[in-house]
Amino acid sequence: MKDRIGGNQKRARFQALCQSLRPDLLRFAFWLSRDRALAEDVVQETMLRAWKAQDSLLDEAAAKPWFLTIIRREYARTFERKRFVTVDVDELVAREEPMLAVAEEQDLAEMRAALFKLPDEYREPLVLQVLMGLSTAEIARELDLSGAAVLTRLFRARKQLRALCGEDTSLDPQE
Amino acid sequence: MIDCTHYRRTLMVDPHDPDPALGEHRATCRDCNLYAQRLLRFESRLERALRVPVPAQPGADALPSDRVVPLRRRLSRAAAGSAPYRKGWLAMAASVLLALVVAGGLWLSAPGPSLAADVVTHMAGEPQAWKRTDVPVPTPELLDVLRNSRLRLGSSAGVVSYAASCEFRGHRVPHLVVQTDSGPVTVMVLVHERVPKTVQFDEQGYRGVIVPVAGHGSLAVLTRGPSTDAKTVEHIATRVLDSIDWTG
Repeated sequence: MKDRIGGNQKRARFQALCQSLRPDLLRFAFWLSRDRALAEDVVQETMLRAWKAQDSLLDEAAAKPWFLTIIRREYARTFERKRFVTVDVDELVAREEPMLAVAEEQDLAEMRAALFKLPDEYREPLVLQVLMGLSTAEIARELDLSGAAVLTRLFRARKQLRALCGEDTSLDPQE
Repeated sequence: MIDCTHYRRTLMVDPHDPDPALGEHRATCRDCNLYAQRLLRFESRLERALRVPVPAQPGADALPSDRVVPLRRRLSRAAAGSAPYRKGWLAMAASVLLALVVAGGLWLSAPGPSLAADVVTHMAGEPQAWKRTDVPVPTPELLDVLRNSRLRLGSSAGVVSYAASCEFRGHRVPHLVVQTDSGPVTVMVLVHERVPKTVQFDEQGYRGVIVPVAGHGSLAVLTRGPSTDAKTVEHIATRVLDSIDWTG
């Protein structure tokens, strides 16, 4: 009986954890795939896998990287299962326009369109840092890169993004 | 001693880098100070842009009744050749399975987790908030977060380094991080959560207090790690509460 109550409480905690992380996981999957429908599918699959594997999460403080790893694997699996058609970035922006244009301010919509145009190798570490709050070391672990490579990618990501957004980059440092 | 190039390169990698040497350089270099202001404005815009809207109720889009429309829309888009990949029946089966799991979880979880447990759980989702920094969140962003809860925060609270409007128990609530002598402290303004008396908790590495606020629900204040004792947390909570100006 005691075990059952303990098990129930554990499940309830895990469920609350999933719910609290879900919005940012959806956002991460969206910026990873640049496709809202696919992002929802990936997060849904992720939640199912996480639910089944919840015993392997030993420390709730490490939940976010744990979920991120599952999402990235799940997203990669979609490529294994299906050959994707190459899509033009402008077409992607146009397709997700309702999502991108929800912004109350025009500058946010412009920033989102610029993020769409950023190469995957730069967009992903930037999203992990800014949206998900990962440190350089955590990003390096997640993406299987060296710390120096992460720093370079973050630098280039902001540099390109600022240029895409029409910011004054004359005072930006060179690499 | 760092030079302007080093300072700006570091800022381009992480505009919130807490290295004190950066703060020292910024304080002595007018050009870099202006550069940092511009970059932080850009960063604030980037942070807001990344927070694309998602369904208000976490998990609500997993319920079958809500899934029907999006799935149909997606299938029709796939049929028209506009979407690269859709997995119709599999997604529907997964939806039903997840709904069963969620429903089962809800049934099994009674009585629900305490308010303190939910607050601690929420912390796991916002690790970026715990940075020790002297960079304040831009004022318009802070005002925007506080507006819905009808409050203003006086400067006596300390430097607010993080402000977000978070989904918590079905409501949008301000989640702030205030830099104090004891390190970063998280404050959640819970106008929809009433508590009869002050609740102290110490769970999963978080030490905190939830204090009742007459007519305005409650206030949760948390620190991370064992360095701050419960009395100090209560003292910080009192200070934050004193600095709040309720506007409605």
